[in-house]
Amino acid sequence: MLLELRAVAVAYGKVSAVRDISLEVPDGRIVTIIGSNGAGKTTTLRAISGLTRVREGEIHFAGERIDNLAPDRIVARGIAHVPEGRRIFPDLTVEENLRTGAFLRREREAVQRDLEAVYDRFPLLLERRTQLAKTMSGGEQQMLAIGRALMTRPKLLLMDEPSMGLAPKIVEEIARIIGEINAQGVPVILVEQNAELALELADYAYVLETGSLALEGPADELHDNEHVRAAYLGI
Amino acid sequence: MIELLAQTGLNALYAASYTALVAVGLVLIFGVMGVINFAHGELFMLGAYAIVAVYADWNLPYLVAVAVGMTFVGIVGLGMERAFFRPLRDNPLGGLVASIGFLMILQALVSMGFGVRMEHVPPVTQDVIVITEKVRLPVFRLAVILAAVVLLASLWAFLKKTRFGWALRASAQDPEAAALQGISINQTARIAMFIGAALAGVAGALTAPLISVNPHMGHSVIVTAFIVIIVGGIGSLEGAVIVAVAYAFVHTFVTTFFDGVIADIVGLLLLLAVLIVKPTGLFGSADRA
Repeated sequence: MLLELRAVAVAYGKVSAVRDISLEVPDGRIVTIIGSNGAGKTTTLRAISGLTRVREGEIHFAGERIDNLAPDRIVARGIAHVPEGRRIFPDLTVEENLRTGAFLRREREAVQRDLEAVYDRFPLLLERRTQLAKTMSGGEQQMLAIGRALMTRPKLLLMDEPSMGLAPKIVEEIARIIGEINAQGVPVILVEQNAELALELADYAYVLETGSLALEGPADELHDNEHVRAAYLGI
Repeated sequence: MIELLAQTGLNALYAASYTALVAVGLVLIFGVMGVINFAHGELFMLGAYAIVAVYADWNLPYLVAVAVGMTFVGIVGLGMERAFFRPLRDNPLGGLVASIGFLMILQALVSMGFGVRMEHVPPVTQDVIVITEKVRLPVFRLAVILAAVVLLASLWAFLKKTRFGWALRASAQDPEAAALQGISINQTARIAMFIGAALAGVAGALTAPLISVNPHMGHSVIVTAFIVIIVGGIGSLEGAVIVAVAYAFVHTFVTTFFDGVIADIVGLLLLLAVLIVKPTGLFGSADRA
């Protein structure tokens, strides 16, 4: 198993955010976590990438325990996190944003190749490479955030609400890109409020409700599950 | 009259140079660490005392003393980061209070070591460039101005062209997102604190032969630096440099044609006016204010 959470609990002060979360991500797959606002999806991702302290439980990645390592140490092990709201660096240029993703990498030529690969994937970013990131539209910023994460050479990609606030056409484009990245061998944890999209892309799904796991199963099975249909798919 | 204006302009340029060094360091520390370093004026003071010790008392060459002062104050900055800014990272107000306490400790230590009297630093050079009969530029002042320009240009190149420079700017814009790129918060904080403190130290070391060195000399410098960074927009390095120059010109001209107290009042009125018209400062953006 590439990533494994064992009975993880996170609290903000005395307020419990998530508890008893156990989930697994096999290599090569897309796993999604769906749930409504405030269910703890973002908190779970933040715990994995070290932005939020894990209070109980363990997180194992590629055979090693990583819970409560500093975020930069976790990136170094190969987990990239595209955060909610994209969080690009507004006053850096597009290319500078992408290069920060390669901060820990010393092999110049490989970094250059990856930069070109990102530009191939997102030709728009190449056009805008000297522009300040804050001048771009939401969809372009999402592509930049994904490109920046790819520059870390991830072994696992965490994506938090990549469809948030984007027009349907752009959402389709982002979905296609996530599928493509995964097809090239990068496993993904996708957190989404857009359950339809998430279940379509993912192999396996977890449903979070008020901080704990309510349901899990292969994505196509959950798609037909009555509770999921009623609560998240609006059918 | 033109000669008086020219002479005052040269004086202003000199004042701008060390003000900019102090203010830029303060902005850098705030940008990367999110904390206001109230002890920044005392770091300036320490730089000046490094000159008193190494140059005036031990008779070592002036440039050696400047290098020692800059490095020593930079290391003091690293110590501050480790001792209280890092443990208080989630508590910016705590960091500010700790730096006020540290300011008093530094003043007390220097008073114990050197006494509270003003120290006289012998002049490094008495040469003067005579432009006209009434417009004169002491060579040492010219050297201070040039040193400030070189240091600020190097800082700019470091921030724009190097890997750690990018990391610092990224950290200043979004520390969490920077951490997600593998940029260690501890590391960027150390770099910012070393550079910021060293710039204050070198400013003190450069001006020591021209001003009265005493344990409380940091006070007026820090007030000026605060006005500059608030008017410039907290978090904007470019703003700090531009406003440092503009402020030094206004202050020096008002001092020359009226007096120093009126110049201080004018400076504070400008600060008020900017805060009323544009609360984020002239070059600041809303998310940092």
